[in-house]
Amino acid sequence: MGITNCIDAGTEYCPCYLAETGECIMCSQLQGKVFCDCINWRGVCIYQEYIWNNVQSKERRPVHACRILEQKEIAPLVTLLKIQVKRTLARELNQPGAYVFLRAPAYPTFFDLPMSIMSADERAGIIEIAVQKRGIKTKYLLQQEGQKEVLLRGPYWNGILGLKYLKSFQKGKALLVVRGIGQAPALPVARKLLQGGNEVEVLLDRGRIEVDFTGDLFRKMGCQVREKELLKREDFTITEETLIYLRESFLQRGFGLIYGGGSELLHQGISCLLQEVERKVYFVCSNNAQLCCGEGVCGSCQTRLADGSRVKRCKTQLEPLSIYGGR
Amino acid sequence: MAKVVVIGGGWAGCAAAVTARKAGAEVVVLEKTDLLLGLGNVGGIMRNNGRFTAAEEIIALGAGELLAITDWATRHKNVNFPRHKHAFLYDVTKVEPLVRKKLAGMEITIKLETRAVDVKKEGASLKSIVLADGSTVEGDVFIEATGSTGPMGNCLRYGNGCAMCILRCPSYGPRISISQRAGVEDLLGQRGDESYGAYSGSCKLAKHSLSKEIMEKLDREGVVIIPLPAEDINVGKLDYKVCQQYALREFAENLILLDTGYVKLMSSYYPLEKLRKISGFEFARYDDPYSGGKGNSIRYLSMAPRNNALKVEGLQNLLCAGEKAGLFVGHTEAITTGSLAGHNSVRLYLGMPLLELPRGLVLGDLIAFANERIKTPEGLKNRYTFSGGQYFQRMIVQGLYTIDVEAIEKRVERMGLTDIFNEKII
Repeated sequence: MGITNCIDAGTEYCPCYLAETGECIMCSQLQGKVFCDCINWRGVCIYQEYIWNNVQSKERRPVHACRILEQKEIAPLVTLLKIQVKRTLARELNQPGAYVFLRAPAYPTFFDLPMSIMSADERAGIIEIAVQKRGIKTKYLLQQEGQKEVLLRGPYWNGILGLKYLKSFQKGKALLVVRGIGQAPALPVARKLLQGGNEVEVLLDRGRIEVDFTGDLFRKMGCQVREKELLKREDFTITEETLIYLRESFLQRGFGLIYGGGSELLHQGISCLLQEVERKVYFVCSNNAQLCCGEGVCGSCQTRLADGSRVKRCKTQLEPLSIYGGR
Repeated sequence: MAKVVVIGGGWAGCAAAVTARKAGAEVVVLEKTDLLLGLGNVGGIMRNNGRFTAAEEIIALGAGELLAITDWATRHKNVNFPRHKHAFLYDVTKVEPLVRKKLAGMEITIKLETRAVDVKKEGASLKSIVLADGSTVEGDVFIEATGSTGPMGNCLRYGNGCAMCILRCPSYGPRISISQRAGVEDLLGQRGDESYGAYSGSCKLAKHSLSKEIMEKLDREGVVIIPLPAEDINVGKLDYKVCQQYALREFAENLILLDTGYVKLMSSYYPLEKLRKISGFEFARYDDPYSGGKGNSIRYLSMAPRNNALKVEGLQNLLCAGEKAGLFVGHTEAITTGSLAGHNSVRLYLGMPLLELPRGLVLGDLIAFANERIKTPEGLKNRYTFSGGQYFQRMIVQGLYTIDVEAIEKRVERMGLTDIFNEKII
């Protein structure tokens, strides 16, 4: 599979349960082998951390009871939540790919719902999340009239794949292709790219939620925004017009990075196009893992890659093309 | 032109780069840290016992460049310490920049802070080395000289944890076994009790942290021997030591100090608290490993099966050198295997028969002897060096040990190998 990274490696949550059971994503010594074969080095020796921590995993992420400051329905399917959190947590969540698990206090843990961070205010300790009403968990989360509190577990960071490109791309041109509720986690992506001195253009499709709730926010940051129908209504493949536009953007307009914030079909379409285009374009995308536990334990996000290897998508920082290219 | 990629810039890798370049290859050295010479940066002992014979053989074969540097930087010549005669002690702080300059002058490309993590293969042939940043380095022939020390997880599992040695894994990342990545399983050295690996054999104290008397004696004579109080003698520690030529009773009963720029303390580690109780050591502190009071690096956890021409078994274009090539101890031994592997890399590229050094030379005999022994369970618990232990005994018995330079030159000449490493063959 080549070099893989665990998003939690070297953080205060590493080593985790996977180390205890010999399933560590990174460390050969914690995969049941008895020698180092450390091709995935991230700056710390996880085995050493594990031994120093008395041969057990670090404390797990706490569940915080947090106050909901505002719950605003901006469209029939979309509700914005503003949640008060500790400033430390807001700081930890103030990066692209950050997410938390939310559930209403009255319900058991299997109602936990992973939600991407749309914005995090480190000074005020406020995070903002856009929730699309879809199934049981989202409905229960939002239906509590006058609900003042929510249970929050986090921080988690693997909401975006290809993070290394996002973090290292500078003084170039980046294209954000976002659809539906995928608009929300694209805001921190745009912020990061702008901090890197990049020009950022956003192709925005209202998608199933039928609302543009981020266009003005993107514009305010300094992005150029175009509304465009990205996927065909009948088979959810990328429209011809968009394909032409993307190809031109890469070949004639000098865009060197594309972020896909949408469904698996959108990412697959982008991936196919990138394989045709004779120019190196970095691909970053939202991590559309199956709803899971976030800890690499439950197994529901396990994905089989083109080379046959299996990875836990909630924790493994993957190369997007390794999932969408040639599967 | 043949492109030879040397992975690991320790003494063995540097020696391999020199002879590969002289044989006519384009050479690139990949080194993970910001220094060449690896653990050699804290070495310093040359020409003791049979290493004298070996050094002169290397020079006669035409690979004397690196020895010229250590000879030049020598602070003390012909020093004797328990069971070691005519040692040359070089100043380790002088040598690395000179080696770097020498290699650069030969138009060898040195890539520092460049860590190899994997290989790309086609059949049994290596195509390229994958670096930690995901990029690749292509080559025709590859020489693995990544050593067998560490990384941290190994030093922890088989030792007392990372002692912060000169390899600085926490800063530059861990060593990866290239041959193992290419599908050839590593061989592992053992200790007497059959556990794996062994401790590096010495630690280095900051010279000015010792008393004036000790410093002056070291500067003058190169060696200071201080008997230990009876309660501090720990003979058991000798079993864990790499350097069996120093795993001797005298080394447990005395503090043996050598002047190598640092003060080389011939003990794997020594608790600082105890050390400071000894007269003259009240201010002692370690320079390498920084935690020399607690532990030292663990070695011999990664050897490749190879033939006597140093080609790794099962792969068409990978050679190995240094500790990767066997349970060798020391720079002279690393320069021996490195020089041969470098020369043979060009022969391999050309499809010529590979050079095996004859057993009438100590160099050839050591390489062949270590290879025979590594295939036996007892042999895995031994180490092989010209400077002592089983192999030096063998040198004496076989009549190979001599310090007569002329006789050594004649020996090499008789075998028709004079200056063979100087030949440009491509």
